[in-house]
Amino acid sequence: MSPTLYDYVNQFEAHQKAVAMLNEFFGTDVTGYVTFLVFLVGALIVVGVMATIGGLGTYAERKISADIQMRQGPNRVGPFGILQFLADGVKMILKEDIYPAQADRLLFNLAPMLAIVGVLATLAVVPFSSGLTLANLNVGVFFLVGISSLVGVAVFLGGYSANSKWSMLGGMRGASQIISYEVPITITTLTIVLLSGGLSFGAFVETQGGLPHQWYIFHNPFTFIGFFVFFIGMLAETNRAPFDLPEAESELVSGYHTEYTGMRFGLFALAEYIEIFVLCGVAVAAFLGGYKVPFDLGSGVIFVEKLGLPAIIGKNIGQVLQLGSFVTKTLALYYVVIWVRWTYPRIRVDQVMTICWKYLTPLALFNLVGVTVWMYLTHNQSIWELFSHLFAAAGSGGGH
Amino acid sequence: MFQDILFICSAILVIAGTLGVVFSKNLMRACTLLLGTLFGVAGLYAVLGADFLAASQLVIYAGGVIILMLFAVMLTGGSADKANKFGIEKIMGMGSVKTYVIAGLTVLVFSLTIMKLLASFLKGYQKLDELPAFTSTVDKIGTMLVTDHVLAFEISSILLLGALVGAAVIARPRRG
Repeated sequence: MSPTLYDYVNQFEAHQKAVAMLNEFFGTDVTGYVTFLVFLVGALIVVGVMATIGGLGTYAERKISADIQMRQGPNRVGPFGILQFLADGVKMILKEDIYPAQADRLLFNLAPMLAIVGVLATLAVVPFSSGLTLANLNVGVFFLVGISSLVGVAVFLGGYSANSKWSMLGGMRGASQIISYEVPITITTLTIVLLSGGLSFGAFVETQGGLPHQWYIFHNPFTFIGFFVFFIGMLAETNRAPFDLPEAESELVSGYHTEYTGMRFGLFALAEYIEIFVLCGVAVAAFLGGYKVPFDLGSGVIFVEKLGLPAIIGKNIGQVLQLGSFVTKTLALYYVVIWVRWTYPRIRVDQVMTICWKYLTPLALFNLVGVTVWMYLTHNQSIWELFSHLFAAAGSGGGH
Repeated sequence: MFQDILFICSAILVIAGTLGVVFSKNLMRACTLLLGTLFGVAGLYAVLGADFLAASQLVIYAGGVIILMLFAVMLTGGSADKANKFGIEKIMGMGSVKTYVIAGLTVLVFSLTIMKLLASFLKGYQKLDELPAFTSTVDKIGTMLVTDHVLAFEISSILLLGALVGAAVIARPRRG
């Protein structure tokens, strides 16, 4: 069985005692119900926090873009305008709900739901910390690639069902772009699968270390290129500038969600911002060491040994540090994504396809072969380990 | 218990999705409802402990096939313009006596064949109280693919390569 959130909770004595007490109280085995409850609470917390992060993403986007363009940005609602996203949410709920006259009602309703479901389902495998991973599936990466392609279907259906020319063009562009860029992203992830020897995010992160030279991005030259291939593909996958053709406002009004109003539009926007966070998290887990904290602080053993804290508290401090490490790196990447949007102009449709099929995909395949050869020649050592062997050999050679 | 709930949810999704596909008059909706069926099948695989197969189902069908079908339906016009400019239906009606008779005979033959094949299994069938303990199937699938079934693996890759080259040839702009 793959390790899950429940396994983490289950190792504490308090939890085991509570389950034993409940068993006695109800007179039957309630472990199944408790497991369900733990997952329910965990999932609710993760979804709630991620929805807030998605909301704050819209605020961050506006504030950072304002900074880059020497403007103020939202500054009225709450301190520094930080409650702006709540005000936007209220506005969206109160807006009139409009269906275009010729729209396919069923598909029109379904599209934003598919988008948000596809994105929220990916949260099940995102490794926030070694304990707070809802399910460390054996096929975690594969699952994430599969379930996040629901967003592609949602974008296409949203464009089709509104029965508007702008939506249609946006939806077609979006769907073709998303399925195209899945290829380089998947192949690049495959290089990390090779290096870590597992398809789960747990395997990705556990085979890396806390310090930058132990991360996969600096493991060898091929993974270094691979990270940038992944990052560019990720921008296209989430329809971010410079790949925001599906919602190019200067030509398509706002693309596939032109005809959406109120909260249905809000769901599309929320799905987009959460998807950016999730994909940044995947990039962090695969290339930037994930939740690993330097000097092995994450396991919490050092707190128990040096400070004499109880094991349970040491462990939880370690978890908090891991969570902080993951979220910090992910938000740093998130900042870069927003920064890129307000720096680069949008590229043309033919350029989008050219970049994907003529540059990124061959590069990703080259990386895959390169990593395989590297692993064969160096027995899966990173470039730093090779250097240290070289220096050690040189040092001993000089001694003679 | 959890397995049962997962099974019931998946089964309902499969049956409801399939009925929706069959009875939907709109081809676009049928395609979308097919997504529900395919997700249900992925759920059934998950119940059986075939985690890799379930994930593959999601990747291949949800990600690729459904979008391609939607594209194909959209580009060919779907059911919206099934009559040509003379008002004659381009798609022939399916509900005639002939088709019902053929369908009935086909169902009979197929079901008899399947029953015959399954008879030996059904006689020796014992109800399992518990599913066997969950193990990951990824390692085994990977090993089998490059050892015992390497020929099938390579042949299918050649088939796909042929399809890819064919598609490129068809899509290439003609010279002159």
